[in-house]
Amino acid sequence: MAAGRSLAALVCVALVPLMTFAQPSGNPPVASASTDPASSSSSAVPGAVLNLPDAPVPNGPQSTAQTQTQTQSSSSQQTQNNDKNQQPQSGNAPTLGDLGFTPQQTLANAEMQKRLNERTHDLKMHQTFGLITAVPMCAAVLVAGGAKSKKNRSNPNGTVTGPSSSGVDLHVALGSTTALLYGVTAYYAIAAPKIPGVKPKGAIKWHRDLVWIHAPGMVLTPILGAMALNQENNGERVHGIASAHSYVAWTTIAAYGVSIVAVSWPIHLKFWEKK
Amino acid sequence: MKFAAVLLLAVAPVMLHAQNQWVLTQSTLTWNVTHPMHEVAGTSHAAKGKGNCSAGQCDFLIAVPVNTFDSGDSNRDLHTLEVVRGAQFPMVIVRTHLAQAALNQPIIDADLEVQFAGQTAHYAHVPLHGTSHGTDVEITGTVPATCSDFKIDRPSFLTVPIRNEIPVTVDATWKPE
Repeated sequence: MAAGRSLAALVCVALVPLMTFAQPSGNPPVASASTDPASSSSSAVPGAVLNLPDAPVPNGPQSTAQTQTQTQSSSSQQTQNNDKNQQPQSGNAPTLGDLGFTPQQTLANAEMQKRLNERTHDLKMHQTFGLITAVPMCAAVLVAGGAKSKKNRSNPNGTVTGPSSSGVDLHVALGSTTALLYGVTAYYAIAAPKIPGVKPKGAIKWHRDLVWIHAPGMVLTPILGAMALNQENNGERVHGIASAHSYVAWTTIAAYGVSIVAVSWPIHLKFWEKK
Repeated sequence: MKFAAVLLLAVAPVMLHAQNQWVLTQSTLTWNVTHPMHEVAGTSHAAKGKGNCSAGQCDFLIAVPVNTFDSGDSNRDLHTLEVVRGAQFPMVIVRTHLAQAALNQPIIDADLEVQFAGQTAHYAHVPLHGTSHGTDVEITGTVPATCSDFKIDRPSFLTVPIRNEIPVTVDATWKPE
């Protein structure tokens, strides 16, 4: 009798693993790429039938995208989308809620997305105007010679020849355009929404730090230029702080150029090589 | 004897259950972006994951907040967050369903479901390499993601967009619970 009980107990013990494995795993895995062509590239799933647990959004990614478009400004709707991720996929499959993320990490933030979109828009404008600004800036430097008074080199004691009015006008026009475009460029950088908690890191730090050189330079250069022109018009040799006009201008251009390169750094130098 | 049998009956399911759960202990996920003038990688170590196995089948889930990827440039990371709609869809979620026996293979042929940027993409037959470190298993591999899979507008530099391919390399260490 005792042996029979022992045998029964052992049989029970032997059956327990089978009973445990026999637990249903919820919905059978049915998701397949073929029913969901919009979400996957042909290279990703070449007609393969996948063996995956239920997708969290039964209507497929296309509808997710539509929902996203329809509810871009509705954070509550997005939260519902997010809640779908928290729902169990099947009886056995772990859920997002099992992983221990904080709600701040998992919940959609429509306001933040809006800020990011605005930020990108403003910084794209900043980039575009910044590159456009470089054109009149370089042109102003190229025509700077025409705005300078010239000495007669064969006779150092001779009279100083004043710059042609067209040369001065062109230089002033290009300089003024540069300053105007620079102002618009700066406006978009300043107006771009700041994202709280993000400290500048990497190449952008150089880009921002160089502002302390080219921004004062962009203010000083036209002032010194006007002073120099005034002195030339009075028949004086350019002297005093006005004589620093070209040095300040060159420093400004150098800082501006480095700033453009810095924000694009690191540049893959062998970019012409195709992989 | 009777007591021992009852005890075994009570404890066996718990033991079996414990042996069939996996938890992600360490991970490195890296997206790679290529542009004619730039090659950039963004890395996150913030993934969390869990795997449940029963009846010889396993379901794994890995999730990582999009904003934890770091490319070394805060400006680029914020722009990335914007283009992948990272505030609206803050998590990358990867699910896979495997036969339990596959976990002991050196190369696991995985079918992955990836939710990212409000889209879901499926990647079939992704080869993942498994290496045992004691009881832990390190899984490495590359998910052949593309921008178009997730309807991401490719960012451009000097009017040239990045390449469509944004392969994500995975190095994840799993521990049985």
